[in-house]
This record gives sequence, C-alpha cells and structure tokens, in this order.
Amino acid sequence: MLLSLNYHTVRSKRPLILGICFVLLLASALLALLTGAYPISLSEVVNIILSKFGLNLIEVPDEKMAVLWTIRLPRVLLAILVGGALAVAGASLQGLFRNPLVEPAIIGVSSGSALFAVIMIVFSGTIGWQLQSIMGVFALPFAAFIGGLLNTFLAYRLASKGGKTDISILILAGVAINALSAALISLVIYYGDDNAIRNFTFWSLGSLGGASWTKLYIAGTLVLLSSVIIMSFPRSLNALAIGESEAFHMGVNVQKVKYVVLFFSALAVGAGVSVTGAIGFVGLVVPHLVRMVLGSDHHTLLPVSFLTGGILLLVSDVLSRIIVAPAELSIGIITAILGAPFFIYILMNFKQKRITV
Amino acid sequence: MITANGIHFCLKNRPILEEIDVSISSGELAVVLGPNGAGKSTLLKLLTGEQVCSNGKITINGEAIESLKTNELAKYRAVMPQHSVVNFPFSVEEIVGLGALSHDKQTRSSQLLEEVMKLTQVEAFRHRMINELSGGERQRVHLARVLLQIWEDKPFPRYLFLDEPTSSMDIAQQHLVLSIVQQLKKRNIGVFAILHDLNLAAQYADKILLMKEGNIRYSGSVQETMQEEKLTEIYGHPISVLPHPSIENALLISSEALVNNKQYISFKTA
Repeated sequence: MLLSLNYHTVRSKRPLILGICFVLLLASALLALLTGAYPISLSEVVNIILSKFGLNLIEVPDEKMAVLWTIRLPRVLLAILVGGALAVAGASLQGLFRNPLVEPAIIGVSSGSALFAVIMIVFSGTIGWQLQSIMGVFALPFAAFIGGLLNTFLAYRLASKGGKTDISILILAGVAINALSAALISLVIYYGDDNAIRNFTFWSLGSLGGASWTKLYIAGTLVLLSSVIIMSFPRSLNALAIGESEAFHMGVNVQKVKYVVLFFSALAVGAGVSVTGAIGFVGLVVPHLVRMVLGSDHHTLLPVSFLTGGILLLVSDVLSRIIVAPAELSIGIITAILGAPFFIYILMNFKQKRITV
Repeated sequence: MITANGIHFCLKNRPILEEIDVSISSGELAVVLGPNGAGKSTLLKLLTGEQVCSNGKITINGEAIESLKTNELAKYRAVMPQHSVVNFPFSVEEIVGLGALSHDKQTRSSQLLEEVMKLTQVEAFRHRMINELSGGERQRVHLARVLLQIWEDKPFPRYLFLDEPTSSMDIAQQHLVLSIVQQLKKRNIGVFAILHDLNLAAQYADKILLMKEGNIRYSGSVQETMQEEKLTEIYGHPISVLPHPSIENALLISSEALVNNKQYISFKTA
C-alpha cells in the first residue's frame, strides 16, 4: 500500500482529512465551472457568484452570467451531490453485504431506478399521472426509488442466507437483474416518443447534461437527506463488518440498520438516477480507494467517500466535456473506463488473498 | 443467574432440542460437551437470545430474555461465535474497540480496552490488520472484543458465551484462553463454553453438561460426568478415563484399539 495511514492518525486527524477533501472538492468544482465551450475566467466566476449575494464588484456580460448560473453551476452541484450519494450508497451497501465488491450499478439498484424512471416518463399519461397528482415533482424520483429498492431486495434475497451473502451469487444476480432491467428499459422506450424520453444511452450511461435548478432542488434534497441519514450509522456498520450475529450480540439492532441502509441507499441512488441516469462504478471505486488510504472505520469512510465521490464525478464530467469537445460524452463512459479496470484489480486481489466469503 | 426451563426448539418440525433445563451462575464455568449435531450450538443461540425457543422460559438475572432489548442484552452477556470473518481492513485495536459499542460511558472504555488487550496478549500486534493474523491470533482478538463488552464491574452478574473458542489454537494458546476464562469468575462473570477437547474440559470446568441428540443426558461436576461409560455413550466411541500421572486430574484418551476391548463390546450390546 503506497499511501496508507495509521488508523490512529486517521482518528485524531479526522477534521483535517475532511478539510483537505473539502478543499479538493472546491478546487474540482472551480475547474468544472471554468471548463466549457464558452470561456469564462476565474474572476468572472467569482464575480457572478458574489453578485447573487448582492456584491457587484465588476460587471459581467449577461450571457456569461446565464451560462454560468443556469447551466454550469447547477450541473456542478448536481455532480457533487450525485457523486457523493453514489459513493456513500456504495460504501454502506458494501458494509451491509460485508463485501467490497458490492456497488449500486453492479447489483442492479441503478438499473432498477432507471427502469422505473423510464416507465414513469413514458406512461405519464396513465399511472404516472395519478402518482404525479399526489406527489408532484417528487413522483419521478419516487418511482426511481421504488425501482432501486425492488432490485436491491431482489439481489439481497437471491444471494443471502442466514445473514451471510454469497458474493458470486450476488454478482451473478446483478448480471441477471441488470440484463432484465436493460431489456425492459429498451422495451418501454419503444412506447415513448422523442419528447417524452431522451434515449437509452442517457439511462444506461448517465449524463449531467440536463441539470437545472429545479432538478437540483428535488433530487438534491432527497440525495442529501439520504446520505446524511446513512452517515449517522457508522458504529453499527463497523459492527456489521464482523458479522450480523456478532453485531447483534454487541447490541446493534441489526434489522433496523439493514432496512435503514437498504432504504436510504435506494433512495439516494434512485433520486440521483432520476435526474442523471445510471452512472456506474463511482460507488465501487471511491469507498475502496478511501479504505486503502484511511482504513475501514465508517466514521471516516462515509463522509470522506461522499466528498471524494463528488470530486470523482466532477472530474469525470470535465473529462466528458473536453475529450470530444464541442460534443459531449456520456459520463458513464468515463466512470466505466476508470472503474472497470479497478473492479478487475479488486477481483484479482480477492483471488490472491483467497478470501472466502 | 441464567436459567432455562423446559426449552424446546424445532427446525422444520424436527426437534433439535427437547425439554432442556439448564442454569449458569456467575463465577461458574459451565462446559458443554457432545458429538456434532447434538444441539450444542442451538442451545447457545437460545440462551444468548439469538434465536427464540418454541417452548419454555429463559431468564437472565431474573428478567425474561424476550423482554430485553438488543442493547440491554448486550450489557448482560457477550458471545464469541465459532468463526468471525472480517472482510475489510480493520486494525486489531479497532476490532477490540467494537466491544465497547454497548457501553454507556465511552470515557472508561479506553482504559478497559488496555486491560483486556493485556490480558489476552494481543497488545503486541494491536496496530496490525486483522486479516494479516494467524487463526489463533484472530480468535484471541475476538476474545478480547467480547471481554471488553462485559469487562466493566457492574452491580449485576454478566455472562460470557464461547462457541469452541480454542478451535484454531495450539495447545499453549488453548490453555492461555482457559486460564483467562478462569480469571473471569472473580469478576462476577459466569461462563458457558462449548468445547471439543475433553481434557481441557476436565481440567477447567466447574460443571459439565453432556449432550446428545438434543438432550442433556448427564450433568454435574467433573467427577460425576467424566466417566468412561457416560462419555462412551455420548460420543458413541470408546473413551478411557485414567488418572493423570503427575497432577490430580483425570486424563481422557481414546483409541480405535479399544473398540475390540471386551468391556466396550459388552457395554454396546447391553
């Protein structure tokens, strides 16, 4: 391990570590705000943001103002929240399944969310309309949440017996669930018109292109809320790392923690997917990297994963916008190029250590 | 005191435990012996509250086990399962520290942590990662963890449940564990242990329960239970009890050669 810190240092320096991650997050956010077809300088970015708080130092052209405020800033904030939520969901699901290979996209949470979001949009005239009349703008993220929850439970039921999860069955269950969800998404899209639905690529590979303040308010609130709730169970998740019955013996209400984590990680992923599509591998790569450097204590792992997830998605978004500029890549292409080799690396490590799960 | 009266447990309508009465007092080491499948682990699961019995009543310090919440139960008893697999890189100290999860005041926990790590001799590798340790070292780390949970002196007795705590240990480590367990008696802790090694049991136990086919066939002191006929019946395998040559203790040996022993055959046909 190149850069692993003693867990003692980690515990005593937690505020410093979080501070460093936060600064890195701000730096990546700034980079993302500066990148794009339309050039906006650093001082202009600062001035536009300050002007929204009533501080007009220098005049910035209205066009630049519009590009930054209505397009880039919500996109950046959405990247932070969705990236953070995917990473926290990944970290907590890994803790719950007691396995570092679990990831929302791999076990099918994301594709379930995408499927239900697509159904909601395409059939908005029938089922969707009723849901929308009750839940308003929250109908779409709610549908995505139900889809994600359904697939999470399905994967869990298929792979778990007596509190132990068989990881090979879990991964295979994920393959089957993902294949079925993808097929159903394509099928549902046949019934939709071009206005109702963007395309299959959006749902399967994700994009931050559609970010707006409205979407940010709706999905962002749900995503942030779920992440914060998951982050409030670090001790129980630590205990679960030893085993479900061990955690029970140590005084943890295992059933409650299990349901809270499953529920809110599905909500976080579902709300995220409903506005960005299914973005893979963030929930796998980020917690694993954090564990390599800072250890497995969920007190540190969860908040650092949130910040690092935000950084990873911001950087991936910048890459997706400059590689084929002026066109744009789906962000999932970048995260998969980074994440899939990483997944193979973890698998090889697993094989080497002969960890039986 | 933990008492169980007339407990009964079925799995898919097949009885695993039938009409069992058992009690564990503080300051006592009760050892359960018996062949695989006798229901030892199931009995442990019922007594620790992990599973609920279909009939009968279990009380801990006078309170019915089903009336206690998970975190209240954790203050009364700690449990060390047979195998605990940790799939993430946690340090030894972090694993032991998890035992303090149910403590009310976390302030005293760090001092208690030092005490149990010293007692179990894991402090030498406290900073190492748990997955780098040998099987015997890992078991000691988990022993330290479960000890920390009930280590603090309380006005009520606490209990420790051990499911084959010495299974991956060499002979020196086995005796280390049992001698640690003996020291718990004076801390107002009662111990319930499942063991496979008859000699360890004979040397350390205060009370022995011999189980077979979901029943406790014999129970009592070492002298009362560690007898050739009883052990041979329980295990379905010839076992001889000899006096230990140098200490005042029974020595238990078993050999295939004994199968041809006339005495055993006569017992078997009787």
